[in-house]
Amino acid sequence: MLQEKIREKAKELLEKKAVDLVIGFGEWTLPLRTTPLFIRTPEGTKNLIWNSFCENNLAVYIHKFSQFKVGIVVKGCDARSITALSLEKRFKPGQLFLIGVPCQRMVDRRKVNRAVKGEILQAREEGDLIYVKGEEFEVSLKRDDFLYSSCQVCTHRNPIHADILVGDPVEESPLKEPYEEAKAFEKMSPEERWRFFEKETSRCIRCYACREVCPMCYCTECFVDSSNPKWIEKGLSPSDLEFYHIVRAYHQTGRCSGCGACERACPMGIRLTYLTQKLNRDVKELYHFETGIDTEAPPPLSTYEIEDKQDFIK
Amino acid sequence: MKNPYLPIRMVVKKAHVETTDRMLRTLELSFLNEEDAKAFRFIPGQFCELSVLGKGEAPFGIASSPTENGSLKFTINKAGVVTTALHHLEEGSEVGIRGPLGNAYPIDLFKGKNVLVIGGGFAFTTLRSLIVYLLHPENRSKVNEITVIYGARMPGLLLYKEELKEWEKRSDLKLVVTVDWGDKDWKGKVGLVPNVLEEVAPTSKNTYAVICGPPIMIKFTFPKLMVLQFPDERIYTSLEKRMKCGIGKCGRCNIGHLYVCKDGPVFNYAQLKKLPKDY
Amino acid sequence: MKLKLDKKDFKPFLQSLMDEYDLFAPVQLAEGVSVFRKIGHPEEVDLSSANTQKPAKELFFPQSEVMFRYEKVGNQNQLLSMEEEKRERILFGARPCDIEAISIIEKVFVGEEYTDVYFLEKRMKTIIMGLGCNHPLSTCFCSSAGGDPFLRAGSDLFFIDLGEAYFVELLTEKGMAFHKNKFFKEADPEDLTLVKELEEKAFEKVGYAVPVEGIEKRLDLMGESSFWDRVHEKCVGCRICTYLCPTCHCFDIVDEGEHPCGQRVRNWDSCLSPLYSLETSGHNPRPTCRERTRQRLMHKFNYFPKNFNQVACVGCGRCILYCPVHFDIRKAILWTSPKRPKRYEER
Repeated sequence: MLQEKIREKAKELLEKKAVDLVIGFGEWTLPLRTTPLFIRTPEGTKNLIWNSFCENNLAVYIHKFSQFKVGIVVKGCDARSITALSLEKRFKPGQLFLIGVPCQRMVDRRKVNRAVKGEILQAREEGDLIYVKGEEFEVSLKRDDFLYSSCQVCTHRNPIHADILVGDPVEESPLKEPYEEAKAFEKMSPEERWRFFEKETSRCIRCYACREVCPMCYCTECFVDSSNPKWIEKGLSPSDLEFYHIVRAYHQTGRCSGCGACERACPMGIRLTYLTQKLNRDVKELYHFETGIDTEAPPPLSTYEIEDKQDFIK
Repeated sequence: MKNPYLPIRMVVKKAHVETTDRMLRTLELSFLNEEDAKAFRFIPGQFCELSVLGKGEAPFGIASSPTENGSLKFTINKAGVVTTALHHLEEGSEVGIRGPLGNAYPIDLFKGKNVLVIGGGFAFTTLRSLIVYLLHPENRSKVNEITVIYGARMPGLLLYKEELKEWEKRSDLKLVVTVDWGDKDWKGKVGLVPNVLEEVAPTSKNTYAVICGPPIMIKFTFPKLMVLQFPDERIYTSLEKRMKCGIGKCGRCNIGHLYVCKDGPVFNYAQLKKLPKDY
Repeated sequence: MKLKLDKKDFKPFLQSLMDEYDLFAPVQLAEGVSVFRKIGHPEEVDLSSANTQKPAKELFFPQSEVMFRYEKVGNQNQLLSMEEEKRERILFGARPCDIEAISIIEKVFVGEEYTDVYFLEKRMKTIIMGLGCNHPLSTCFCSSAGGDPFLRAGSDLFFIDLGEAYFVELLTEKGMAFHKNKFFKEADPEDLTLVKELEEKAFEKVGYAVPVEGIEKRLDLMGESSFWDRVHEKCVGCRICTYLCPTCHCFDIVDEGEHPCGQRVRNWDSCLSPLYSLETSGHNPRPTCRERTRQRLMHKFNYFPKNFNQVACVGCGRCILYCPVHFDIRKAILWTSPKRPKRYEER
């Protein structure tokens, strides 16, 4: 079982003092959720779990724990974020030990909540079913009907470049067409796209959760916080909200692994993955580059080659 | 009901650069409105929020004394957006002011006691206010001995140089000016403030110490004050912290359960010891 | 005065309010996302969720508020105060936790020496119609924080959903003025019995499990505890908990625009942001997440009680529901109490 293997490996790493701490997932108080755990002792590893609710991208903690040797439990997308970070020299070689878990795709807890009437008080996973129980209901749901949209299009569920894979690799067969959200967005007319984007960003409350959970957003001074020059104000003016989201997406070009952590973190349910998917798709077509696959090739937007396409210059 | 966030209009009467590195500029401001001028009553140690509309607002200790009627003096260190804007203001420009804010130096406690003033660098602004106030004929007799130790890194960085020269001539005040590094024209003392304090060794009996300076200076001066046997309740300092509203609403400047803008900025060491080191 | 309002009269009732007042009630912005907004049509009101995302504090303390406008003409500045609210407002459908939080914020904003006129004006001009919680969530812990799911305090009128009708209690002078409303009828004894049943059921569900009582004294002893080294680890430093918290009230003041005119605006701010305490010199008294998380928890449960004899938490549970990394403030509170497990990772 994946969970056992994760605990075993984490325990081994801590016993041998190969790492100072292991970052993984654990149970906390709410059903359908896990929480990042920071285990420092071999005995503590018994709290590590693995299930379809391990939705966070733990690579984000590399920046916070940069002075420690860290073992991290990673899914496919998380591992690609880490490869991208290594190209940006955000950690020293040998500082990380990646415990790779072939991902069974994560469950969208908000979709599950919407499928029942009332608060879910207990949930458990068994095989390909999820059993949820509330005060006045008890139902079983098919796991595959409630996956995150970013997981359904994923073609890199196996963490490549992990130091160890705790299970057999899974088949890379996406459930939906890759870049499906981006393609749906592309089918819209420019007016429809703008209305969609405007409506989504109008709910934004500038909590910056999307930025803080993203492993690639690590700038000491983010452009939104710059006061000299001041790019945008700090209020809720619609143009500022739109500016923030479009520019943050652009800053991910060639760097985003498509993990969906941004959309999962948003308390106002703002759709975000269509933006990053579109940018990733364009990067793949223009530069034949996918984030976190090649450990050597530098990100396309950080390099200039003579052969780069210039046909957009008219 | 009065809106405490609305600044009152003032105009820059005079401005001059204090230091050779051009980073410190003293502004003399006067109220546009007679009534505002009459209503403005403050005690040394208090501060005001100065606004440059379009750039922002920042807190500054009042450098002039309430005994100097007419205009208010502030000495501004050029560091960020607002202070740079204040440095570029020409005479005749308008600024906004909100104040006086904060508590003040405990002037009442000083009655009949000696006062030791220790200042470092450009933290000397509110100390100037205190000294001018105490030296005023109406107030001088209320306190006993006044000792002032003021140090800067270099002679060119001393504030209020003309006034220091005047004060040195006075017999009712002991003034020791020191610099960390002298230059060829400097005839005065050379030495770090904590060491000069040790040398001067003022009595701690019936004396209140007021100390304002950069954190490093305070860090090394406090032990010297301990050696001279100053009790914690008689050592006062003025803290600085990032502020916005200045009236205890926005939550920014809190240290523990106290707000630097409302319960401070003047605190004594006994109070500070009980608070978390959030400064 | 105990009255009732039949559900069939609910929308006409709301319309009758809208004729005289600006009505604010929960609306749904997207599936599962609701906030308080000014109602244009009674159909917009959505009371289906246990609580809104953004708390009712934004009616009195908006996320972005213009304090005054200014014009710069040559060397001269002209200040233009903001216009006062013209119409009286009604806040409908706020839960007791949000309403209690408004009185907590009031303690800071309405002071002896200085009063936040923007907050006070909105507060004076608003009639609060609270709504009781028949089905508190498992994340609600209002009772532990000194409130309860049917707390009347702070409401001018209090509504309880009885199924076919709302039970309506007129509580204050402002509330009594509604007794002539044509849609209100006398409440029957059965209604009062049902109210009692609903209250008891809700109280039992919320319980008193979270050891908030006495936390101020316990935290006094924990200034340098190693607890602070661990509790912040998973926090990523976003602002969801502070912005969605009904009692958090820190704000930032910025000037927008300069020539020829602009405005001074205040926006919500969060002590969890590294920029919050960053000084122009570069010195930051709270340099890491450890200090900032400590500041937030200490302010809520130690510093605020020292000044106002009440914890700055109403137990609404939003921070637990919406934290992207599942930080649970109840666990942090539990950890300060003698009931805590031996080791931090144990549960």
